[in-house]
Amino acid sequence: MSGFIEVRGVRKAYNEGQPNMFHAVDGIDLDLRQGEVTLFTGPSGSGKTTLLTLVGGLARPTEGRVHVDGEALSSLPERFLTERRRRLFGFVFQQFNLIRGLSVLDNVMLPAYPLAPSHQHLHARAGTLLESLGLAHRQNARVESLSGGEAQRTAIARALINDPPVIIADEPTANLDSHLSEAFLAIVTRLKAEGRTVLLASHDPLVIKAGVVDRRVSLRDGRVVG
Amino acid sequence: MLFHPAIMALLTTDLLSLVLLVPAAAFAVQVLRHWNLASGSVRQIRLERATYLVATIVGFVLAAQLLALLLFVFTADALAVQFVGAMCAVGTLNVNGWGFPALVLKLALFFAAAAWLIVHNIDERARDYPFIRAKYGLLLFILPLALAAALVQFQYFLGLRADVITSCCGSLFSSQAQGVSGDMAALPPLPAQIGFYLVMALTLAAGAWSLLRRGSAWPFALLSSAGFFVAIAAVIAFVSPYIYEHPHHHCPFCLLKREYGYLGYLLYLPLFSAAALGFGMLTSLALARTAGARSALAGVLPRMTAAAAALWLVFTLLVAWFSATSHLKLLG
Repeated sequence: MSGFIEVRGVRKAYNEGQPNMFHAVDGIDLDLRQGEVTLFTGPSGSGKTTLLTLVGGLARPTEGRVHVDGEALSSLPERFLTERRRRLFGFVFQQFNLIRGLSVLDNVMLPAYPLAPSHQHLHARAGTLLESLGLAHRQNARVESLSGGEAQRTAIARALINDPPVIIADEPTANLDSHLSEAFLAIVTRLKAEGRTVLLASHDPLVIKAGVVDRRVSLRDGRVVG
Repeated sequence: MLFHPAIMALLTTDLLSLVLLVPAAAFAVQVLRHWNLASGSVRQIRLERATYLVATIVGFVLAAQLLALLLFVFTADALAVQFVGAMCAVGTLNVNGWGFPALVLKLALFFAAAAWLIVHNIDERARDYPFIRAKYGLLLFILPLALAAALVQFQYFLGLRADVITSCCGSLFSSQAQGVSGDMAALPPLPAQIGFYLVMALTLAAGAWSLLRRGSAWPFALLSSAGFFVAIAAVIAFVSPYIYEHPHHHCPFCLLKREYGYLGYLLYLPLFSAAALGFGMLTSLALARTAGARSALAGVLPRMTAAAAALWLVFTLLVAWFSATSHLKLLG
């Protein structure tokens, strides 16, 4: 055991037992260190998103193990996996996956209800996060009224509400212009300075060239190629 | 065979149980042979993914079997009016030679199911499946028991004929009767009461010792399991006569009847629950072979002990209440 996140012989097959079965991730070994920003690159279908969902405990591998902080995450029973996932990871999805009809504040607070000591504490923390991301004035707005950049920062605030040590962002700049992408990278720099481990999947040249990235892992056909 | 709704329900429950338990047992063999949490092999991950579903299904099946015992006894009592000579469930069970074997097997299945559910519950509370082999091993023991209980119950229901003249409980639970029931009915009241209250006091003391002094749970689990037989003997020997206010009426089944205010349910609910918890604790203690299993068990033992002790206390107080308020004087 050497990395904060260890991926050992991980495979993920879809359509198992059927003629169209394929391995989205096909035997990956990785060690990811704490506090580093790792960028996963590769063409569409190379396995970036699948690998991030496996590392983040959103899906289970077909074969192999994922260890986080010394614990075999992928072998945990579902209820413990949910609890660990909640504490360890914050997710920023490509489409942001904000819940329409709820306010910015409610969206940010939602994942923290099971862990928060009190509603007041949660409210205060969500307010602080939104303020730090420049969204304090929009906290009561419905999420469908947000611009792309605001929606993304709301998603980031939601990812940070449980104060997780690992942030996973899948194609975070895919729907943003270059100005907003730069703003996102500034936030990543801040997260790194706070000691968080950041895993990004992207094929945006702006992200690929970003100085904040410590390590780049290239994927093709579900395998690490560089 | 009588086409009574409850009989249909019991037969359907058993059939569905077997349909679900057989593949679960096949899965249990796979777990016993191949489970290795350290491995990330395809087979191991498939076992991990499947165990959640299989154990949930088995849990529902065995929970249904707990209720099936209640329905079986209730049905036997309700059907008594259909048979000449029957006064309560005993008469119905005596209609053919399969009745009491069916009851005994359903009782055994009840306690085995309760033990499995308790072991499973403890296993579910830990991160590393500490009882996984134990609970699937236990399942392999339960399957033949469930099969035997289903077959014997089917034979029993198949042989239920309304033209049979059966014998009532008076012939089975009397001091003149041959066998265990007769022996229990013939127990002299004073030694029976001393023995019962002594065992209950010891059980509660063992529970208190385990809870307050953090002593071993073994004595309480053993006494709780053995306490069931002592309690049943007590019900036959003196509790029933006190409730019926008749020195020679020892039947533990008539207590379930309306004319006695369904007091049997009030009495048996804490008794069976306490004994099931005790038996489950005993099984868990015996199966906790690894440090992880012992640690998971230690987390739930105090609550189980407190619950079982409370149930034993309720049962003992009910017995004392029925004895004290009866107009029948068995002592002195």
